Amino acid sequence: MLSLKKISVVQFKNYEQKQWLFNQRITAICGPNGSGKTNLLDAIYYLCFTKSYFSRQDAQIVQQGKSGLRVDAIFDKDEKEHELVCIIRENNRKEFWADGEEYKKFSEHIGKFTCVMIAPDDVELITGNSEERRKFIDTILSQCNADYLHWLIDYNKILQQRNSLLKASAENNRLDESLLDTMDEQLSEKGQLIFTARKQFTEELIPAAIQSYQSIAQKDDGININYDSQLLKNNLLELLQINRQRDLYLQRTGFGIHKDDIEILMNQQSFKTIASQGQRKSLLFALKLAEFEILKKQKGFTPILLLDDVFEKLDAERMHNLLHKVCMEESGQVFITDTHAERMEKQLKAIGAEFQLIEL
Amino acid sequence: MQLPSSLLENAVAQFSKLPGIGKKSALRLVLHLLKQDVNDVQHFGETIARMRRDIKFCQRCNNISDGDICSICANSFRKQNMICVVETIRDVIAIESTQQYNGTYHVLGGIISPLDGIGPDQLNIESLINRIEKEQTEELIFALSPNIQGDTTIYYIQKKITHFNCRVTTIARGIAFGGELEYADEMTLARSLANRLPVQQYVK
Repeated sequence: MLSLKKISVVQFKNYEQKQWLFNQRITAICGPNGSGKTNLLDAIYYLCFTKSYFSRQDAQIVQQGKSGLRVDAIFDKDEKEHELVCIIRENNRKEFWADGEEYKKFSEHIGKFTCVMIAPDDVELITGNSEERRKFIDTILSQCNADYLHWLIDYNKILQQRNSLLKASAENNRLDESLLDTMDEQLSEKGQLIFTARKQFTEELIPAAIQSYQSIAQKDDGININYDSQLLKNNLLELLQINRQRDLYLQRTGFGIHKDDIEILMNQQSFKTIASQGQRKSLLFALKLAEFEILKKQKGFTPILLLDDVFEKLDAERMHNLLHKVCMEESGQVFITDTHAERMEKQLKAIGAEFQLIEL
Repeated sequence: MQLPSSLLENAVAQFSKLPGIGKKSALRLVLHLLKQDVNDVQHFGETIARMRRDIKFCQRCNNISDGDICSICANSFRKQNMICVVETIRDVIAIESTQQYNGTYHVLGGIISPLDGIGPDQLNIESLINRIEKEQTEELIFALSPNIQGDTTIYYIQKKITHFNCRVTTIARGIAFGGELEYADEMTLARSLANRLPVQQYVK
């Protein structure tokens, strides 16, 4: 069981200095636009992942006109208290401390305290291009399997080298076949490992996502999700060798796990073109909840769930189902934001949940 | 930076071309030379010019050398049928200071990285293959950086020499001496476990 007891922030986004205590499993955060609801969720996310969910650069999360920030919190994990502190000094040096010890590498922290964020912009995961969906899978897999991240980094390095070689041989009109052979072998070794991991993972993710969708929508809307990879039919080494002329002509690598996608269909048609906004949102929640389930199973504790502004565009029934699922069926800690305190209170009371209301 | 003399400025500009030297360090060095005796500085300049002009690269292994063949290749006490393949001359110096290696070297001059515009043609790979054929080399030891480009280079060369009767090995990867186990990174530790050694060999 993982829970957050207390968090305090200094010069974090719109907060000068502020502290919150959490005494219920469910925390509702209400306030008008721009009052900092999302920023509070982001502070929690920040301590779990050592980076912000919304901004790539740390400079952007420091309060405007200030330099340096501090976020610290008390987490409770398996009946033991852990103190996490993140400091960005005035000179932009970032420090991360856990229980009084400073991390040498931030990557060591990833996976120890997990949370899942669901925010409105995440709909990109469904409507955006395939890169978004690969990133989604990669993020979860890297948290569960430390080797996976190394394979991925290596794969991308070899891919870059191979593409450079293809370009160089087009410019010089001369190709070193045996060098390309060598790179094909290196690329397919890592590619095959990543493919196997993704295949296994999606076999778990997809049924979980479809089940979550059903429990939100109370029907399946004819949705079908598949892992789509060129490696499903052929192994990568063969693919690279068969398509070598094509790759040389196009000067880039046309086959590999960097072309993988998660294909989403509704009644055999492309989901993103025909689904309504509400259906897209429902599916987004379903995928994120599947992520939640898998992390829970892999990690042996329930991740913290951060729901940002999720009630927009869902009908009353789907909203009720979603709330019931995350608050009552699951045992983890949940943070929910909304602009209307009454709406939120009414909904949470309707499912019979005990909660703490924070008004900003 | 405003300098009172163009001679000084030229000298500073030359020094700041060196790796790791910025404008300020360059100025410090130049001002130091200015304080020295004219003859000493003359000698300093000539030494460097002569070094660049007269130094040769060994025709056999591309190591730096005073003659056509370097002192390592010329040493008949060293095993001539064993070649250690390294990236740069600095690696030769590093391995030599271990005093554990008694064969010859071959300096590639880099590793294969098309991204940086370095293909096999820019490296001394062909001369290595010719050498193995001509000298009937018995063992080839790769001592290259443990990264993707290093691996590419190893696989590439290995493919080219499969038809020779030559043993191909690489240096071991694992835990550093004097290091604490808990501070070793996971990948290194995992690799050391996978390639563990029998204790008899370890003690030696």
